[in-house]
Amino acid sequence: MADITAASKPPGRGFFRRKKTSDENNLAGYLFISPWLLGFLLLTVWPVTQSFYLSFTDYPLIADPTWIGGANYDRIFTSDKTFIQSLKVTFTFVLIVVPLKLAFSLIVAMLLNRQMKGMSIYRTAIYFPSLIGASVAVSVLWRNMFGVDGYINGVLQWFGIQGMGWISHPDTALGTLITLDTWQFGSTMVIFLAGLKQIPNEMYEAASVDGASKIRKFFSITLPMLSPVMFFNLVLEIIQSFQMFTAAFVITQGGPVDSTYMYAYFLYEKAFRHFQMGYASALAWILLVIVAILTAINFLASRYWVFYESGGKK
Amino acid sequence: MKKTWSKSLLFLMLAFVLVLAACGNNGGNAGGNGGNGGNGGDAGNGGNGGNAGGAEELTMMWWGPEERHKATLEAIDIYEEQTGISFQTEQLSWDGFWQKLPTLAASKSMTDVLQMDAAYINDYVARGTLADLSDIDLTGVVDDAVIENLKINGKLYGLPISQNAQGLAYNKAELEANGIELPKEGWTWEEYFEWGRTAKEKLPEGKYAIGDGASAWDWINWYQTGNGADPLFTPDGLEFNLDKDLFMEFHQTFADMREQGIVPPPEKTLSFLENDPTADPMASGTVMTRGATTGSVSALETMMPGQVAVINLPVGEEGGGWAQSTIFLSVSADTPNMEESKEFVKWFITDMEAGKALGMTRGIPISPEVYAELEPNMTTGDKLGKELYDIAVPHALPFYAIAAGFTEWVDTYESTMEGVMFGQTSIEDAYEQMNELGNRIAEQNAAKQ
Repeated sequence: MADITAASKPPGRGFFRRKKTSDENNLAGYLFISPWLLGFLLLTVWPVTQSFYLSFTDYPLIADPTWIGGANYDRIFTSDKTFIQSLKVTFTFVLIVVPLKLAFSLIVAMLLNRQMKGMSIYRTAIYFPSLIGASVAVSVLWRNMFGVDGYINGVLQWFGIQGMGWISHPDTALGTLITLDTWQFGSTMVIFLAGLKQIPNEMYEAASVDGASKIRKFFSITLPMLSPVMFFNLVLEIIQSFQMFTAAFVITQGGPVDSTYMYAYFLYEKAFRHFQMGYASALAWILLVIVAILTAINFLASRYWVFYESGGKK
Repeated sequence: MKKTWSKSLLFLMLAFVLVLAACGNNGGNAGGNGGNGGNGGDAGNGGNGGNAGGAEELTMMWWGPEERHKATLEAIDIYEEQTGISFQTEQLSWDGFWQKLPTLAASKSMTDVLQMDAAYINDYVARGTLADLSDIDLTGVVDDAVIENLKINGKLYGLPISQNAQGLAYNKAELEANGIELPKEGWTWEEYFEWGRTAKEKLPEGKYAIGDGASAWDWINWYQTGNGADPLFTPDGLEFNLDKDLFMEFHQTFADMREQGIVPPPEKTLSFLENDPTADPMASGTVMTRGATTGSVSALETMMPGQVAVINLPVGEEGGGWAQSTIFLSVSADTPNMEESKEFVKWFITDMEAGKALGMTRGIPISPEVYAELEPNMTTGDKLGKELYDIAVPHALPFYAIAAGFTEWVDTYESTMEGVMFGQTSIEDAYEQMNELGNRIAEQNAAKQ
């Protein structure tokens, strides 16, 4: 009896075998994700840790960093006027551009959600600008369009309106960048479109039977059913808008009179023009905290307005 | 479970090291650079022992317009034929160059040979990124006094490529067509402003005689030094001096002219983009004058052929403008090919064949022999450059570069003065802000000494 047990199931070997398999499985798993993992560790985790350390140093890029404790943060919060200015500009930008973009892309998504001949052509045509929207080339184009002698003023002239330097006047420069950013609505629009397709038609039919108007249907069916998608887009857009850089860099260089001095541009200027990498790292961490707080607030607030058909995660 | 995980991680790390090692081997340059850095600039020879066989490839980068790119590549071809050394080159615009170089410098991966500008050379020398070129013999090519002048802390960090000078260009054709008296050589700041006022009366609407110099830091520096005050900052960045009276006077003059419509409105001024055919203040036909240098005036001439003439910058009691070498050829302190690079930079500015290929694409060649060879075949634009140089020399003051650490001041000056131009800030407040920032930077520089 004892012999049989020993022969059929040697406890040592069984344990060893089981362990080896799990080892192999794990290893294979890690190897499979290693391209991503390597990139993540080397190109994300390591620089992020580094930048946290650097934010407590004076680092002029070429010489070695020297530890100065919280002096960078101290200067940012107590005596840097450009920090306040760039925050003002960035918050204004985010507060205007996010709702505008969401509303605009929702409207376009609803238009494109109709049953119509050749709709796929329209969809492609409307989405197309967004593919190139964030590029430098488009920014250069906008600079030429909105210049004093640009196309926009040329068109205005046909109607006898004297144009102005849209991007070279402090009152209108930020507005021009907001317009450019709103115009890049493609990706949010596609997500909305996918969300709209998910809404079951029966709901609308049932509402029609009950005699609901189109507006009523929009507010009572479309919006609530779309709220998870809306929430997703909102969070994404806020994070993206805070990092707005290309247009501020290419079109206005933060000017005129710092009216488009975006936070990300401020950070770039400190790091690569003024060679204050430590200071720039501190700025980056402050931005991270700001965005994290806003995202947390968003998630907390979402409980009150986002509707999940399944009853929500909780 | 935990143990397994850490084991796998170890394995991963090992894989990592292998990958990194492989990369290191391929990019032999990267490894070599590190070694040399440790040896210090002076011990370049010893550090290069491993490369005794001689470099087969040099890297080089520069900025400039299309013609300069073509001419430089042509000269490099000649050198490749003569020596068998091949080149990897990178050609950039001015902005692109100065955006890219800081990151290259920080990662110790600057090209072996690079173009350098007087505006930034102090910064790069202070960071120890440029090799000492004092031992290159330039007798008969560059005047000893000129070399002495270019030395930083007693060492030469860049070979001067050309003679350069700062002045103004003006639209001669259009001024004559409107019956306006042309600027007179040696004009003073008062005469310059007065000329701007009277010329504006004869110009049609939307055209202006002089531009708005309020937000350009070099203009206030020219005004200050021309009128006998110290420059804004000393080259070592330790002293800062913003003369209040001259500052108020200069900016009040522009403020009045802005109000009277003698200089373009600020939104127009800020939309100008030099050397862009439709947005250049002069080429677009909006302003009759603009700043120009020997090296850059031919680009303006190309945009408006036959219309451009040159004049000196307005002078004060001390003089005005500058006339000296501002474009250099430097060698990276970290290059593994120190000797080859030095040989090449010397060849670049002294060789006749190279000179012929390069022409005047970087201004008047520094070598008198090369210049004598080129003189008979100069284009109109080149002649303008030479003329500008000759006009500038008698009045010239030293060239002032942005001192180490003062880029921040220059950027802030620009945005602050834009605020004054749009009436958001008073001149007095602007002075206080700029003075405070300048003194703070000078103090920080001193603390680092």
